[in-house]
Amino acid sequence: MTLREELKSRLESIGPADILVGIPSYNNARTVGRVVHAVAAGLAKYFPETKAVLVNSDGGSSDGTPDVVEKSTVDLQSILVAHRVNPIHKIVTPYHGIPGKGSAFRMIFDIAKDLKAKACAVVDADLRSITPDWIELLLRPVLKEGYDYVAPYYRRHKYDGTITNSIVYPLTRSLYGKRIRQPIGGEFGFSGDLAAYFLDQDVWGTDVARYGVDIWMTTTAIARGSKICQAYLGAKIHDPKDPAADLSAMLAQVVGSTFALMEKYADQWKAVHGSEAVPIFGFEYDVGLESVPVSTDRMVKAFGLGQSELMPLWAEILSQSALSELKELKPNGSDFSISDELWTRIVYDFALAAHHRVMVWEHLLKSFTPLYLGRVASFILETQSLSHHEVEDRIERLCRCFEQEKSYLSDRWDQPMSHGG
Amino acid sequence: MKEIWQTGFLKPMEAFLKQMGAFLPHLGAMIVVLVLGILIAWAVKSAVFRLLTSAKFDQYCGRIGLSQALAKGGIRETPSHWVGRLAYWTIVLIFLMLGLEVLNLEPVDQFVTQVFSYFPHLLIAVVILIVGFLLANFFGRATLIAAVNAQIIEARFLGRTVRIAVILLALAMAFEQLGIAKTVIVAAFSITFGGVVLALAIAFGLGARDSAKQMIERRLKKEPEQKEEDFSHL
Repeated sequence: MTLREELKSRLESIGPADILVGIPSYNNARTVGRVVHAVAAGLAKYFPETKAVLVNSDGGSSDGTPDVVEKSTVDLQSILVAHRVNPIHKIVTPYHGIPGKGSAFRMIFDIAKDLKAKACAVVDADLRSITPDWIELLLRPVLKEGYDYVAPYYRRHKYDGTITNSIVYPLTRSLYGKRIRQPIGGEFGFSGDLAAYFLDQDVWGTDVARYGVDIWMTTTAIARGSKICQAYLGAKIHDPKDPAADLSAMLAQVVGSTFALMEKYADQWKAVHGSEAVPIFGFEYDVGLESVPVSTDRMVKAFGLGQSELMPLWAEILSQSALSELKELKPNGSDFSISDELWTRIVYDFALAAHHRVMVWEHLLKSFTPLYLGRVASFILETQSLSHHEVEDRIERLCRCFEQEKSYLSDRWDQPMSHGG
Repeated sequence: MKEIWQTGFLKPMEAFLKQMGAFLPHLGAMIVVLVLGILIAWAVKSAVFRLLTSAKFDQYCGRIGLSQALAKGGIRETPSHWVGRLAYWTIVLIFLMLGLEVLNLEPVDQFVTQVFSYFPHLLIAVVILIVGFLLANFFGRATLIAAVNAQIIEARFLGRTVRIAVILLALAMAFEQLGIAKTVIVAAFSITFGGVVLALAIAFGLGARDSAKQMIERRLKKEPEQKEEDFSHL
């Protein structure tokens, strides 16, 4: 029997399910066991009457991740008062297609559709801070409140998620008008209908299948007009990623996916003005987070090198005013600063350059890295003495700047580029 | 006197006029062919220019860096203008050769045959140069950006080196195609390229010996590189 036939037979034996929780994985043997325990405990505790399926979609791990998932059991006696009525079905399967998280999600959507699951959730396999409550928070709004899509809302260290804080959150908020704080969080809840809708989209041979699936899901849910909320999950702590992972590639992937989605939904975002709050489920408690060492010297140096070597290239992308301001910046000392207004212009200019194809896509996105590092360094220098709440206010200020400057983007979207060269 | 006038002047004049009489129709035909060629070339140039403009050829050339490179070389006209002009002169050249054939003179016929047999090599050499130039820009820019992101101070030098290396390779291939000093070009290129690679290997092996050793040891032991910050970008 082939793998696909085996899976099909397994799905037929399980039959229609109420809940499906997916865990995409790749070499996460160290952490996936705990994640499986938390998911199983959450399902048992909060949804004892439902028929639930746990799916591990693995990308060909070489460290025995699928074996860890298969063997993971949880002592429900220690955490439950009442016995769970239905057993939790477990499916461990490799995914097919282009290697990447998107292909893993596609497998999960496929299984959700086959099982006619009413509510689904996906959680990362490298989480260290996941608790059983996360399952309730991601699924209850779908099952009980009629929401289509649940985005996560974390309490993170003030410098964690700098790509989200400085680019993806302000940009998607100003474009689509929804204040989804963690649009690429990694943990999501969604209805079976929305899963089927995701599956029907013709994106699985593109970059979405590799690394753009998070932002793609959030943007598609908004553009579809889905009913969206956020779930407060507390602290997000995950296994440290390979330190040798290329920041430039990661940044290019996330930002590139965001820009590609702007092409698809241009008519929609051009019609949006301002933004509205998205409801948050769950009690927002404060979390103590460890301080992390930060050094801005390396980032400022990286910006400085970009400033000296890439200025002719940036001249093809950025407006004259942004370029002049960048030339004036002195990459040394503690007074280095890239203002919100300049940063907003830079992001919008890159989006316009991507839309008008002023240069090879890969070159455009990778040349963004020194500017991003400069902005991160500037932000850290500015907020070193601020508390978490004050930093959130600072990010809110940046988002308002993005919203106010949006006409700069929409006015130039359909006009040929006038600067550069 | 009359005889001298006849044999010395009239008869040669007669023969000359006879030859001219036989040649002039051919010359007229050649002029007609040339004029026709110029008219056709002008029409093709306009058509090519309009086609390339509607296909946004100039924007594409801007994206791959060709327009900027031409501008740096002092050429302000757009690439579509240049392609149109190339088409124009190609057609004029072809009709010039055809016109020379019409003259029906053996030495001219041999010359035209040689030109036509050389023309494909010329065309291939031009294509090699254009593709080589575009690839040089692409790889040069990719190297520059990668080196900046890897925080290599000599990023611009590396980018330029890659660009020049690809251009030199394209030039060597084009000269080889044209049959110009074939063996000299191939030998010179091989020696230069081999010499540069050897120099880099020696410089790296001697000058960066300790760094190379540390890099290899880290790879074998799979030790993480030192990071200055511990927050997550995503």
